[in-house]
This record gives sequence, structure tokens and C-alpha cells, in this order.
Amino acid sequence: MKSLFTELEFHQVRKHSQHTAGDAFMVHKDSENHRLLAVLSDGLGSGVKANILANMTAKMAIKFAETHTDFVHYAKVIMNSLPVCQVRKIAYSTFTVVDCRPDGSVHIVEQGNPPFILLRDGAPVEIPFQEYGSEQGDYRKLRVYRFNAQPEDRIVFFSDGVTESGMGSEGYPLGWRNKGCAEFSHGLVEHDPKISARLLAKQIVRGALQREPDRRAYDDITCGVLYFRTPRQTLLASGPPFSDKKDREYADRVRTFNGCTIVSGGTSADIVAREFGADIETDLFRFKRSKLPPISRMDGVDLVTEGILTLTETLNLLDGKERPAQPNAATLLSDQLVNSDIIHILVGTRINQAHQDPNLPVELEIRRSLMRRIATTLEDRYFKEVKLEFI
Amino acid sequence: MKTVNVSICTGTTCYLMGGAHLLTFDEMLDPCTADHVSICGSHCLGLCNDESNGKPPFVKVNDQVISDATLNKVLDKVREEIEEDAHVS
Repeated sequence: MKSLFTELEFHQVRKHSQHTAGDAFMVHKDSENHRLLAVLSDGLGSGVKANILANMTAKMAIKFAETHTDFVHYAKVIMNSLPVCQVRKIAYSTFTVVDCRPDGSVHIVEQGNPPFILLRDGAPVEIPFQEYGSEQGDYRKLRVYRFNAQPEDRIVFFSDGVTESGMGSEGYPLGWRNKGCAEFSHGLVEHDPKISARLLAKQIVRGALQREPDRRAYDDITCGVLYFRTPRQTLLASGPPFSDKKDREYADRVRTFNGCTIVSGGTSADIVAREFGADIETDLFRFKRSKLPPISRMDGVDLVTEGILTLTETLNLLDGKERPAQPNAATLLSDQLVNSDIIHILVGTRINQAHQDPNLPVELEIRRSLMRRIATTLEDRYFKEVKLEFI
Repeated sequence: MKTVNVSICTGTTCYLMGGAHLLTFDEMLDPCTADHVSICGSHCLGLCNDESNGKPPFVKVNDQVISDATLNKVLDKVREEIEEDAHVS
């Protein structure tokens, strides 16, 4: 089950009259225990007050869940500790907690939020749930779901801004409702079975917004999507192995890799080409205006680039540097990394003598530390699973 | 008339030492000369590792290595090759 990758993304539009969203979305990824937690909370009202209520609730849920307290127990504690507004007689905030365990089971608890949608093979499926009432004797109820995730499952959860969009309008007197949103999501997945969580969340929010009068959000609209998929893997090989006896092994790693392969570096590409018996063709003109060396083509490898300069720029892009107007080797490389779930980085550690020349105009970083920084950025900033290996 | 093959190294060292500028070589050729020249890139000619080859950037013109290459040096070499070829034929 561990081999399933979870892509979690959310999209949000705040109420048009406010500067702050009243829905909170929080994520906690415990990579050691392979546990993923996501909380969506909707605070009463809108603006700053709602924001504080929602954030408080979400943080409470995350902290509680982290302590491995019994799932139903902590949800009850949260519900019972949250007061009900004296004036409106409604809860201060609502929440949905999605808890993915390492054994592949998914636990979801909802209080007050619209029911989530599980898309299995693209179509909405009903999941049985248990209900628990509030100890304060009010209307609130906890809905608890437990099920096992299957490959290509998508969990779509949202605040009532999504289901109530368009409420009162001619086309949607009662709003978009769960059913409308489920049909819409079904359609999107049917149209593009590989649609990413990021795009699906964005499209649903956009769909809700389109149903609102004048296309302005009259409530905070937040949608989170969790997508279980077989991981997309990429191998980034850079640098010649320390001992040339390892050259064959190095090339074999590229050849036998199940996924996208990238070779960065002239000598590395030469080694792979020699072992493959392939030719390398360099495309001088494709990215001519770019400030980076061009990319090359080799049969059996998906992308061949120059080494240190391209990788340094790739790290800058991953760190948030603005993208150049025209694509270049580094944008191709960083896009491929960002679009992968599991990234294997294979670093050859032989030093390139020519790079030690003090006459070289810029600082050339040592490959080992550069690759380590790329790995850390991918892990910390993009939540990728990275396997760094030196050869 | 034969074609003159120009191969420009785009490896890290050559690129930094001036090879980036050499990639505009096609723009400085007059149309007559351009007809007889084929420009291609090399991901790395592998010459910078041995000092006896001279200094980067490196360009190969019909398998002759030009070290410390500049646009003018490459152009001169290309013209030389074309003239030589003209003499022979």
C-alpha cells in the first residue's frame, strides 16, 4: 500500500467583500510514519473572525491527530469544546479531517461540512458512516467514515461555499448542492482520467464560482482534493561515477529505470551513450536565446542537459526564482521534477578537473552539495519523496 | 564543393569560457559561406580535461581543434577550409 502516492492540493477563493478567507486548510505530513493529515475548517461568518475560528479548529485537529489519540475520541473532544453561537444557535466552526494511515486505510471525520465525495474509477461512490451526537445536546453530529484507499481514488472535500454556490439563482434555487458538484467532478475526471489533484480542486472552485451571481463569491469557497495514484518516478543522473569500473552499473541504472530518465552533464551523457551504444545529438537552436547551454537528445534517455550550470538554475527555479519568458533546459528539468512523485537522484562523485580552473568566471558549485540542496528543496518545499545516492 | 563541419562545444567549461557567445556563429556568416557550412553542437567534446589541447572554449572545424576559440578565429578557419577545398577542386 505504501507504493501508492498521495497528491494533496487545495484551492480557495475568499468571499468577495473580505480580505481574508474564513476557511482554513491545513496539512500535516509525517513522512516517518507515512501518515498524511488534512483538515478543512469553515469558521462562522466571514473575514478575520471566521479566519481565526477556522484556523484554531484546524490547528487543534492537526495537533490532536498527531498524538495518535483515538480518532473518534479526539473528534468528539473538538466538537464538544467548540461552543455554539448564542445568537445564531449554530456552531462556531465546522471541520473535515482526512487521515491517511500507512496501512492504506483512510479515516474521515466530518462535522458540519458538506459530505466529501469519493471518486472511484472516476465515479462517485457512497461510503457508509457512523454518526455521533453532540454532548451539548444540540443539533451537531459527527460523521465518521473508514475505508481502504484504492489506486486512482480521489477524495474531494469542500466547504459549504461550494455546495451552496448559486443559491437562490434561477438555475440553482438550492445551490449547486453535493450532487451537482459530484456530477461536475465526475465529468472532469472522465474527460481527463489523469487529472491532478491541483487542477481538479481548482476547476471545482472555478465551477462553484461560475454558478454564483455575477461570478463573485458570496461565501468562502474552498476545495481540497486527495488523489491516490501509482507514483510517477524520475531518475536524475548527474556526474561520472568515482570509479570507471562503475560506469556500466551507472548506465544500467538509467537503462532499467521504470520512469522518466534525465542525464545532466557532458561526461555523464558520454558514459551512458558509450554503454548504450547510442549517439548524442545537441540541439543548438531550440533554446538559442537562453542563458543556459542547450539540451541534447539520446535514444533511451528522456532528457539530456549540461550539468552544473543547468542544475544550479534548476535549483534557483525550484527555490521560487521567476521563470524566464522562454523555456530552457532548466525549466524543462525543474518541471519534470515537480511533476514527479518519487525522484531518484544518482550523483557521480568524480571531480571534473577542468572545473577547478581558477580562471572560470563564476563559482562552480561542487556537484555533491548542489544535488543535496536540490534534494532538500524537493523534499521540504514540494513534499517529494527523494532518494539520493552517490556512486 | 564539400561542406565544412563546425562543431561547437557546449560543455560547462567551454560554455563559461566564451562558448555561449560562439553559439551565434551562424549569424555572422554571409549567405554564400553559410551554404557551405554545417554547424552543430556537441554536449562536450571532452577536450578540456587535457591541458595539451589548449584552453577552452573548443570548436572543431572539420576535425581540427581550435582552442581558445573566438568567432573570428572560427570564421578564419572556415574560410581557410573553403579556399583550400576550392584550390583542390
